[in-house]
Amino acid sequence: MIKQVENPIIEIHDLSVAYERKPVLWDVDLSLPEGQLIGIIGPNGAGKSTLLKAIMGLLPLNSGYIQINGKPLEEMRHKISYVPQRESVDWDFPTSVYEVVMMGRYGQLGLFNRPKKADAEIVMDSLRKVGMDEFKNRQISQLSGGQQQRVFLARALAQQADIYFMDEPFAGVDAATEKAIIKLLGEMSAQNKTVIVVHHDLQSVAKYFDWIILLNMRLVASGPINEAFTPELLQETYGGKLTLLTEISDLIQKHRFPNRE
Amino acid sequence: MWENALSFFDFDDTNVIYVSLGTIILGAGAAVVGSFTFFRKKALIGDAIAHAILPGVCLAFILSGTKNYFLLISGAFFTGWLSIIAVDYIVKKSKIKEDTAIGLILSVFFGVGIMLLTYIQQSGNAAQTGLDSFLFGKAASMLAQDVIVFSAISIILVFMILLFYKELKLITYDKDFAQSIGLPVKWIEFLLSSLTVLAVVTGIQAVGVVLMAALLITPTAAAKYWSGSLSVILILAAIIGGFSGVSGAFISYIAPNMPTGPWVVMVLSLFAIFSILFAPKKGYFSRLLQQLKNRKQIQDENILKAFHQIAEAEDNFGEAKSLEKLREKRYYTTRLMKRILLRLKRQGYLRRTKEGFFLSDYGQRKAARLVKLHRLWELYLTEYLRIAPDHVHEDADTIEHIITPELEKRLEEKLGYPEVDPHNSKIPYD
Repeated sequence: MIKQVENPIIEIHDLSVAYERKPVLWDVDLSLPEGQLIGIIGPNGAGKSTLLKAIMGLLPLNSGYIQINGKPLEEMRHKISYVPQRESVDWDFPTSVYEVVMMGRYGQLGLFNRPKKADAEIVMDSLRKVGMDEFKNRQISQLSGGQQQRVFLARALAQQADIYFMDEPFAGVDAATEKAIIKLLGEMSAQNKTVIVVHHDLQSVAKYFDWIILLNMRLVASGPINEAFTPELLQETYGGKLTLLTEISDLIQKHRFPNRE
Repeated sequence: MWENALSFFDFDDTNVIYVSLGTIILGAGAAVVGSFTFFRKKALIGDAIAHAILPGVCLAFILSGTKNYFLLISGAFFTGWLSIIAVDYIVKKSKIKEDTAIGLILSVFFGVGIMLLTYIQQSGNAAQTGLDSFLFGKAASMLAQDVIVFSAISIILVFMILLFYKELKLITYDKDFAQSIGLPVKWIEFLLSSLTVLAVVTGIQAVGVVLMAALLITPTAAAKYWSGSLSVILILAAIIGGFSGVSGAFISYIAPNMPTGPWVVMVLSLFAIFSILFAPKKGYFSRLLQQLKNRKQIQDENILKAFHQIAEAEDNFGEAKSLEKLREKRYYTTRLMKRILLRLKRQGYLRRTKEGFFLSDYGQRKAARLVKLHRLWELYLTEYLRIAPDHVHEDADTIEHIITPELEKRLEEKLGYPEVDPHNSKIPYD
């Protein structure tokens, strides 16, 4: 069940990605509608984070291309926000909540320019939206997991983008934070922003998302929640790993074989 | 020797001024650049670069036959960079991890460097004297022109760090995000590596090849104990680096046989040790003090609780409780018990009459709250974590001391203001 859309905000064509030569995504072809809350679902090692990183240009592609609103990524970067996994950074780094959120403004500021008053206001506004304004001078090393995630979210808001890619924003956060985040994501999609979230708690999928992408090394499904979130498709995504595919991937890595001729 | 010391501060000898200024600038520059390698967890790359510079310097000398700064620094820069590329390449293309790769590259380059140096020394070229000061650093014997050249480089380094501060900070903290907003990450990393190589080239003048890593890393390692803000840490590291530099130069000036480098590193290490021990909050003694405080708090609160428990059992809250009864509840030595009782009296939780100690009104409330927290937590453990009632007491005995009023309120609400705990003891509310 792969539903393609007219005038997609994101179009991925024949995308294949490998990590250290080991293929993790095979020939993904999909298009996504604007202004929706979209979940990327799949088991561990399915390539969910890889898909986001590939879209953001953080990984070399083996094949395929990605278009954002019909244009290449480089032209659209200022409209896109990326929220990496919380564990991907060192939370002992000596800096404050305010300074991390200000990093969301760096893209617009450009090299050499210092933040202006308007940037400071945007940062404070973003902090208020995630309920972290009281913590603005707090060292990031003193934050709880939920607070760390809120800070990352505030940084994304400060980018004032139209498309948001979030890698596991609900992983390891408290219930109150999860509720606050999903409320915020709902508000964003109501303002016609497109939000794409890597998620792995199946329980909440139907409640949270308008559209889902089911992934397990290859695209299993992409479509509106009521069409794609079916027991059969979930079975295909989670049940019975494609052992043949995994073994081929391992072989390619072991023999340092090229993925494409 | 003391005459030397005095004449150092007279600054009669103009060279002394140069050397002092020079070592301050060299030390500060290396420390500021080193901060970023430190926080990027690439502290050891400085060591590889330092060792890799030696063959570059020697090659430049052999090829040109003179001690021309520009050529020597270019040679150093070239092989320094080569070592970074080599380490990166090994890590990327083989199964060898970074620490091993650094060890390999460091020794190969240094070995070649020593070979070339020996060759030069035996060649009888009169201009070679002083090249070996690269090995140990000899800041005190630097000439005015050395100081000017190397200080100029250091100042450029610090200026570049200030100019790209925002970007360097971002790629150090979150490289993926930096790349996602379109920052030229590769280019900035190239810049930082180049700055690191230059910092090593200049810093070697002060401490020599072998000890260079210390000049890059130690100032930041010490400074991070004093602040949680990158900009403050950079300033502190610069001060520590500069001060250590000039101290080393001073010591080797008053005792001319003393090498500069080891003394610079000694002073740096003193800073680091002092910071590790005495820094507020993060220092060893500050933590020790906090633990002592915690222990006292636990003792105090345990005794307050004992007062409440005895009163509860006797259904008599007003009267003094005897030491023996308290010791039945909490077996502390009589001496410790007396100390705790006096402390609690000083704090206003207890009052004392001829009959003994009893809870003040304020102490009464505090004791009741502690008993309440203990019993609420026991209930929470049995109800939400499904732990058997006979296992929960020890857990609750520690947790009760750290529950904040906010958590207390949430606990009460979650449990619905229960009447009794899992052992059917009454939970006291205000």
